[in-house]
Amino acid sequence: MSGADTATTPQSRPSVGVALKFVPLRVEVNPLTGMVSADDRLAGASPADEAALEYGLRFAEAWGWDLLVASAGDHRCEPMLRAAMAAGANAAIRVVLPTDTAAPVVAAALAEALGDCLVLLCGDYSLDRGTGSVPAYLAAQLGAAQALGLVSVAAVGEGTVEGERRLDGGRRERLRIPAPAVLSVEAGVRLRRAPLPAVLRARSAPLQVLPTPVPYAIDPAAGTRRPYRPRPKALPSPAATMSARDRVLMLTGALSERRTPAAVRTNDPVQAADIVLTFLRERGYIS
Amino acid sequence: MIAVVCVRDGALPAGAQETVDEAAGEVVLVGSGCLEASTGLAGVASRVRYYEAGDYAPGAWAVALAPALAEDDFLLLPASPDGRDLAPRLAAELDRPLLAGALSVTPPRVLLARQGGLVTDEVTVLGPVVATLLPGTRGLGTRHTIDLSPAQPLEVHRTPAVRDAESLAVLPPDPATMDLSEARRIVAGGAGLHGPAEFAVLARVAAALGASVGGTRVVADADWLPFERQIGTTGVAVDPDLYLAFGISGAVQHVSGLGDPDAVVSVNTDPSCPMMAMADLALVTDAGPLLIELARRLETSDTAGQAEERRSA
Amino acid sequence: MPDVAVKPTTGDTTGGSRDGTPPAAFDAIVVGAGPAGAAAALTLARAGKSVALLERGIFPGAKNMYGGVVYGRVLDHLVPNWWQDVPYQRWVSRRATMLMTPTQSLTIDYRSDRWIEAPYNGMTAYRADFDAWLAAKAEEAGATLVCSTTATSLLRGADGRIRGVSTDRPDGDLTARVVIACDGVNSFLAKSAGLYQAFDPSNFTVAVKEVLRLPREVIDERCRLTGDEGLDIEIVGCTAGIPGGGFFYTNRDSVAVGIVVSVIGLAAARVRPEKLLADLKKHPSIAPLVRDGELLEYSAHTIPEGGYDVMPELVGDRLLIAGDAAAMCLAAGIWLEGVNFAIGSGAAAGEAAAEALDQGDASVAALAGYRRRIEANFVLADHRKFRRVPHLIMSERVQRQYPPFVCDIVEKMFTVDNPTPKLGLRRWANDARRTHGVRLRDLLRDGAVGLRSFG
Ligand SMILES: Cc1cc2nc3c(=O)[nH]c(=O)nc-3n(C[C@H](O)[C@H](O)[C@H](O)COP(=O)(O)OP(=O)(O)OC[C@H]3O[C@@H](n4cnc5c(N)ncnc54)[C@H](O)[C@@H]3O)c2cc1C
Ligand SMILES: Cc1cc2nc3c(=O)[nH]c(=O)nc-3n(C[C@H](O)[C@H](O)[C@H](O)COP(=O)(O)OP(=O)(O)OC[C@H]3O[C@@H](n4cnc5c(N)ncnc54)[C@H](O)[C@@H]3O)c2cc1C
Ligand SMILES: Nc1ncnc2c1ncn2[C@@H]1O[C@H](COP(=O)(O)O)[C@@H](O)[C@H]1O
Repeated sequence: MSGADTATTPQSRPSVGVALKFVPLRVEVNPLTGMVSADDRLAGASPADEAALEYGLRFAEAWGWDLLVASAGDHRCEPMLRAAMAAGANAAIRVVLPTDTAAPVVAAALAEALGDCLVLLCGDYSLDRGTGSVPAYLAAQLGAAQALGLVSVAAVGEGTVEGERRLDGGRRERLRIPAPAVLSVEAGVRLRRAPLPAVLRARSAPLQVLPTPVPYAIDPAAGTRRPYRPRPKALPSPAATMSARDRVLMLTGALSERRTPAAVRTNDPVQAADIVLTFLRERGYIS
Repeated sequence: MIAVVCVRDGALPAGAQETVDEAAGEVVLVGSGCLEASTGLAGVASRVRYYEAGDYAPGAWAVALAPALAEDDFLLLPASPDGRDLAPRLAAELDRPLLAGALSVTPPRVLLARQGGLVTDEVTVLGPVVATLLPGTRGLGTRHTIDLSPAQPLEVHRTPAVRDAESLAVLPPDPATMDLSEARRIVAGGAGLHGPAEFAVLARVAAALGASVGGTRVVADADWLPFERQIGTTGVAVDPDLYLAFGISGAVQHVSGLGDPDAVVSVNTDPSCPMMAMADLALVTDAGPLLIELARRLETSDTAGQAEERRSA
Repeated sequence: MPDVAVKPTTGDTTGGSRDGTPPAAFDAIVVGAGPAGAAAALTLARAGKSVALLERGIFPGAKNMYGGVVYGRVLDHLVPNWWQDVPYQRWVSRRATMLMTPTQSLTIDYRSDRWIEAPYNGMTAYRADFDAWLAAKAEEAGATLVCSTTATSLLRGADGRIRGVSTDRPDGDLTARVVIACDGVNSFLAKSAGLYQAFDPSNFTVAVKEVLRLPREVIDERCRLTGDEGLDIEIVGCTAGIPGGGFFYTNRDSVAVGIVVSVIGLAAARVRPEKLLADLKKHPSIAPLVRDGELLEYSAHTIPEGGYDVMPELVGDRLLIAGDAAAMCLAAGIWLEGVNFAIGSGAAAGEAAAEALDQGDASVAALAGYRRRIEANFVLADHRKFRRVPHLIMSERVQRQYPPFVCDIVEKMFTVDNPTPKLGLRRWANDARRTHGVRLRDLLRDGAVGLRSFG
């Protein structure tokens, strides 16, 4: 797929779209204030977004489709888009949007850029906001089928993919998703290395910039920031029929089975294994 | 506030009870086998309504449910895979904001985990919202002694077709790949293991015990372990019955994700670290050679105490 | 070769050949965007040449480590008024040299106001910031920076002459009329071009370093600094008798502490360098400076320390080497300078390559301007002057005998043990000399080397 082909035959081929978000890949959190500081040089597409791009490239190759990438954000996402072009995207679009935008608006912006794509791929979560909701909004807005948090996905026929997503309890669900579809994928497959000539070419490749969709709304979920502290766990309240003593014991766990024995010390792995296995047997974990 | 819980074949998702509890007992079940599933909410739910909608189809469900739920300003779903799918579709359908990944929901105050759980954002809710609650962080409080009144079907007007993916099959859990948060037994490793080779032995021990593999952020950062298997505040919250910790110091960020195991085994060269203090069996020894010995014995089911014989041989 | 969107090469046939090989994609390729590479690319681009600057890291400096002090004078003509936008941490206002035994230390501590005003003497800086800054200057001048790309070998034409490099990317061959290897210590390119005689581990030291986070005010107070002032301590005698030394530098809100030891000595003594560093951090003269620091970063690296006598050939056919790749780090105990030598040699290599390209010839003879330039400036002049110093600093005597010897003399000088009368410097020195087995002959000879070098 060379740049020349697409320039002469725009819109003539169906396309796969990939949404890439520019995010800090490593952040530091001030343990007192919860202030997050990030290094822009260590920022770009998350591993999940890169996985989405890799799958997108594979589908485009398998079906002979074009591949478009888009990002909603400021100018800092342009090197990321260029890297995607170096890896094989035919065109890249940036929609001008502030970073604190609400997910439905981000989705609207991406729909503007990628709405003609029959199969759209996203990462499962963005690393910063991380709600995984943009792909669902995209599916809702485009009237497409959604399949979110796919662990793996493969093309089974032109425009149709099959994939696996996690359910709870360790189960997985196999899905068949015909186009039009929005897929979000977990980090996993690695993005291919871009060929050197493509890297050099992408430095000056044209990049389409679309204006901010109006109106846009600030993310309602941006509130007062603090460092994470685990929530105190709720405990079942003891039955009213219990004695006061029993209720205290139940709430505090005092006198319950757990007692911490003195540490056992040994330098002999065989003896250590005996101790562990005996413990597991006594507790009924092995026979 | 109403909890909205997706049901598959009569089974509740992770975090269903916590979500219902957080919503003070009122719940709408949607999916297949709702009545069967409702029994699992005894003691938590006070009012159950359901929509027997059949196979999982978040797009169609959202359209179908929206009118019936529009009256309630606060919809809360567990942030289980199905809940995370349905919530944004409901929010889109009802045209209200989504607050995803909440740690606690006490209107008007909602606490959200952000930046991969490193920070929280506290939000004040002014209008109708849809929110999802992270499983495993809340615990269960209320126990209603009153009998649950029978579940009532929800008035739903079927709507024209919405595109959804087609479910081909549901595959049973493989302990090696299963979501850690559901694992009953976990064997975990920390920086006390010296390299990926020792970690591989740990995985063998886990397999032999039918346990899942987990670890600390240090080993996840070192790439010995996929990041989704990191246990703790920035990883997954787990709640196993049995937890075996090899070379883990027991930092608070790790332990706070640990739930409340019935049995904890800690193997460490430092007898005074926090992990040892909370263990039922605290073993001061080098983890590497012990793991090799355990793998050998468990894989050959030579678990009996034959140490003496071998030593004398 | 695809339609590379860069400036066309400026010369004629060099790189391409008569049998119809296409012309080279670039005038020059610089491998490695450390200080040497960035300086080379900068001078080439300024001279109007098309130049590709290849870097294996995700950005220049991403993984580069060093002690922490950059001496900026070399930048004066390369980046005029560099101090106005250089990403520095602190200006070094105090330089201290510490002689240490496990229980003693003697510090010579110098502070100057002149070092904290333009044009400044030295600064502490993070390499991730500094290298990226210098490479950005090269890009601004027109160089094509390509990151996440490792040069894997020299590319040779049918005639056996160098015509570019191969990289680890698909379709990764890149052609140029001249290659400048700035790929750092253990330069793979210089070795594969046969410019190194033999690899001798005795010319290398290994360094381990920790960066510890401390609040800025705490650093200021502990090190007696104000504003942007910084402290730099070089330490001799902290390596358990293994040839080497240690250092302590201040950043804005972190400090760096590290040790540098001979690879051979380390192997012989069978200690882990981390153990030496842990001991240094526990030393009563260092512990109060690093106490409660939160570990931000731990790193290790090798340094070429042989100096002038072990430098490789600097010029090959269509090939120049600069910076650590050419063993140009000056490690002379109280000096640990490499960045300035890298910049000095890199800039000279770039200028010389541009000159050769102008003549349409990049043979060894045409590139001779490189050596001429660095002979004439500080790069080789300093190295020649200090050629014996590495051996002296790493000698048994300086490492094992002199620190306790000097510390004992000073201890006697300052210990008041009346009613015993003071014996006087000469007696103390002689006593200490006997205790520590220091021979007068060695002392005089080493003193002479020191005087000749430093004097
Ligand atoms: C905001 C924040 C969030 C975090 N989130 C998480 C999180 O979600 N999950 C998490 O795990 N961590 C998290 N951390 C990191 C956490 O603070 C600890 O650094 C980490 O849990 C320690 O991992 P560890 O026990 O493997 O390593 P260490 O603390 O280095 O402990 C290694 C242990 O191994 C022992 N040991 C050494 N050699 C041997 C041997 N040969 N045999 C047996 N034992 C040996 C040592 O005595 C020591 O106890 C977070 C930190 C921060 C600041
Ligand atoms: C512990 C320590 C402390 C030091 N302290 C100081 C100090 O305080 N002050 C000082 O001035 N000097 C100090 N030095 C020396 C100084 O770091 C070096 O002399 C200097 O960095 C040399 O610069 P350079 O550009 O030649 O090489 P480097 O800085 O090593 O840069 C080489 C670059 O090339 C890249 N590269 C390597 N191979 C390839 C390849 N095949 N393809 C593409 N890219 C490649 C690398 O990623 C790197 O960016 C110290 C060194 C150490 C180890
Ligand atoms: N601003 C954006 N630009 C492009 N893609 C985005 C943007 N925000 C989210 N996405 C896509 O949606 C996925 C999930 O993001 P989120 O819903 O923010 O967790 C990301 O992995 C991206 O693929």
